[in-house]
Amino acid sequence: MLTLIVLLPLFGFLLNGLLGNRLGKAFVSVVGCGLPILAFATAIVAFQAFQAADAPLVQTAFRWALIGDFSFEITFYLDKLSSVMVLIVTGVGSLIHVYSTGYMKDDSSYARYFAYLNLFLFFMLLLVLGRSLLVLFVGWEGVGLASYLLIGFWFEDSVKAAAGKKAFITNRIGDAGFLLGMFVIYSTLGTLEMDQINAAFAGPVLPAVSASLIGILLFIGATGKSAQIPLHVWLPDAMAGPTPVSALIHAATMVTAGVYLVARLSGVYIHAPEASQVIAVIGGLTAFFAATIAVVQTDIKKVLAYSTISQLGYMFVALGVGAYGVAVFHLYTHAFFKACLFLGAGSVIHAMGGEQDVRKMGGLYKKIPWTFGTFAVATAAIAGLPPLAGFFSKDEILWFAFASESGGATWLWALGSFTALLTSFYMFRLLWLTFFGKPRMDEHTAHHVHESPVSMTGVLVVLAVLSAIGGFLSIPHFLESQLPLPTVSEHLEHFEMPLLVVSVLIALTGLAGAAFFFGGDASRAARVGQRFTGLHKLLSGKYYVDELYETVIGKPLVWLSDRIFLRLGDRVLIDGTLHGLTGLARLGAGILGRVQTGNLHLYVWLVLAGIFACLAWSWGHV
Amino acid sequence: MNNTQLLLSVSTGLFCIGLVGVIVRRNLLVMLMCMELMLNGVILSLVTLSQQAASATGAVLVFLVFVVAAAEIAIAVPIVLLLARRKHTLDADAFSDLKG
Amino acid sequence: MEQALLWFFALAALVGGALMLVLRHPMRVALALIASMMSLAGVYAMLGVHVIAVFQVLIYVGAVMVFMVYAIMLLDVRDPSFTHRYSGYLLPGLAGLAVLAWTFFHTIGNSPLQAGASPATTAFDVQPFSAAFLNDFWLYFELTSVLLLAAVVAAIAILKARRGNHE
Repeated sequence: MLTLIVLLPLFGFLLNGLLGNRLGKAFVSVVGCGLPILAFATAIVAFQAFQAADAPLVQTAFRWALIGDFSFEITFYLDKLSSVMVLIVTGVGSLIHVYSTGYMKDDSSYARYFAYLNLFLFFMLLLVLGRSLLVLFVGWEGVGLASYLLIGFWFEDSVKAAAGKKAFITNRIGDAGFLLGMFVIYSTLGTLEMDQINAAFAGPVLPAVSASLIGILLFIGATGKSAQIPLHVWLPDAMAGPTPVSALIHAATMVTAGVYLVARLSGVYIHAPEASQVIAVIGGLTAFFAATIAVVQTDIKKVLAYSTISQLGYMFVALGVGAYGVAVFHLYTHAFFKACLFLGAGSVIHAMGGEQDVRKMGGLYKKIPWTFGTFAVATAAIAGLPPLAGFFSKDEILWFAFASESGGATWLWALGSFTALLTSFYMFRLLWLTFFGKPRMDEHTAHHVHESPVSMTGVLVVLAVLSAIGGFLSIPHFLESQLPLPTVSEHLEHFEMPLLVVSVLIALTGLAGAAFFFGGDASRAARVGQRFTGLHKLLSGKYYVDELYETVIGKPLVWLSDRIFLRLGDRVLIDGTLHGLTGLARLGAGILGRVQTGNLHLYVWLVLAGIFACLAWSWGHV
Repeated sequence: MNNTQLLLSVSTGLFCIGLVGVIVRRNLLVMLMCMELMLNGVILSLVTLSQQAASATGAVLVFLVFVVAAAEIAIAVPIVLLLARRKHTLDADAFSDLKG
Repeated sequence: MEQALLWFFALAALVGGALMLVLRHPMRVALALIASMMSLAGVYAMLGVHVIAVFQVLIYVGAVMVFMVYAIMLLDVRDPSFTHRYSGYLLPGLAGLAVLAWTFFHTIGNSPLQAGASPATTAFDVQPFSAAFLNDFWLYFELTSVLLLAAVVAAIAILKARRGNHE
């Protein structure tokens, strides 16, 4: 049954990829959406079987390799954590597939799009259902590949193709750390099955390997996949792909793979305080930096991209302080409201005929009411207004950041809260600029603004409802038997209520601030922007991280490749050696060719010399 | 020096003179005759040593060498004649067409 | 007495050979070669191998050298090779001669050779010779026949080619 869940999207990929172009859009839509929905249904069945059995479901598909005493099998594993993940992936994935039928309706490569989307789903399911790190890694690489294919979907535009390449390459840098972590684990523990790795660390005697080393190496991989500092640079560029792709891959599922990896190996991280500290610090810094950049972005999708990076930072903060279940909870709520936001942005872009610049929008709330309504609900969720989903998960993260005994600190809470303020602020700024105020678009576009078809708005409504009520399902509680919550320092326990109130106040402050600065004609915001031009430039330039990488890494590498490897190594050494050899041969041939004078007397003289040589040789050897 | 040494020395001397004759003389016919001299030197050494060994094989071999020498001359001289007819000279230096 | 004759004939052969290098007119060179061959026949006679001596005179001098003389008389010998009888490789040739001769003599001197056996061997008489030839070595006899046939065919082919060129 688990194998079936994984294979259904693969069939979709094959059918759409091979036959889609010939059999028309209806076939592609039915196969492309139907199979993920079927996978979702199967996942529910599997989940119920798991609940009934009260023990993890294990299903081995086949044995991949047998090397000496070690055997590597493809095994699928369903326990509490992976059941949450599989339901999110197939559920939200199916919704986004349905949305895509409306969004990509007029695209000429419709079949290829759905083929790639199904391929992505296949690899993602491999990732979350795999029992061994090897299967997870196959899925990891596969979603990177699918992400490259989908980001660069309109590859005729070289900028978009370059964005796809950037995503893939940045991911691969992180994967080097992942692989090193896998090597360390395998060489010391002798297994790559994740439940066995956790068991090895759970016993009374710890294995003779540094858990922090493993932790940090695997986290490097997670940094690449989940866009944390310093490997976050690919995610904003990835907005070049179609918007449903951004929703599925870069909001709901792929970028959460890093979070899933750390949560899955919680048994290791519990014994790795240094690694956990690193994770928490990087998570907090990433959340803060991304939020500051998002405040000044003018492209609707870029704001959401930085928002994603920021929210992922929150998830890593939770992982870093030992609250693994809470991180998964935030992952779950984030999937709903971020997908809703991205798809809503897609709906806005669809209505605006392709325009993505927020400065050219405004006053849309009357013309596209469904989009506005769902967008507003999702914005309130991400800002953390109770009783929407985001409030519950974010508040739990901030509470554990403050009070957890395994890494919680006041400065972490303060940074997180300030970031929450910025989050609320920039999200409501986005809402105001897009939907309220006077329309700032030209006549032609204004005329064309229309609501999206039901295939799109229907999905938006479903996601908005889930963003609203999803928080009431207490995932941390559900996962507690597998991912225990960290202990809270006793003397801090009474802070819980006050901090809750502070969170709500922060969310409301952000809302008020956004309304104040960006309401009406947004002139107050413009005046503030002119007062702090230096800061504005820094934030608009995304702290110049891309330029820094280009100067420090990119240019030296290009110089090295050109000067040393191409000119010196290839042209001078390799080609030079070959040319030298041929020159040598030519020279030798030229010299030896002088024997051929055509003169008989010379030839006979050479015979004489030969006779002499033979006789001389016979002296020594006969 | 005994007979054998004398005759072998003469034989090798004739061989060397013949070989050098091919190298230093220009006329094609003279070169041919020097080759005959070489052959004679070899026959002499063959006779000397086979007479020592009292071997019938040696005698037969000498006779065969005579036959081969005769056959060779029968062909070599017409070839030289044809060459001379083509280039209208007997000078070996005129036949450097295979130069290079 | 016989020793002296042997020495005389041996040296005469050498002198004849040396003369071949020096004389200018090809006819004189042929005569020097004939002299050398006759001396060699004398050597064979002194050694007691009369059959071979007779063959030497009959085949070599009587057939081969006569043919050479015919060819010399047929061609016009007054060409550049008459005035300039030596090629460009005179000095290297002479140096080679010295080296090669020294090498040969050194090799011969170093190798253990007995004195000449008595010439009272019968292997080189006519009857034992022909018996051995036609009994034990009949294959080579046939092969030489083939060789001579090939030579005749080649001569005819040359003749035909000449005729072809003329027409």
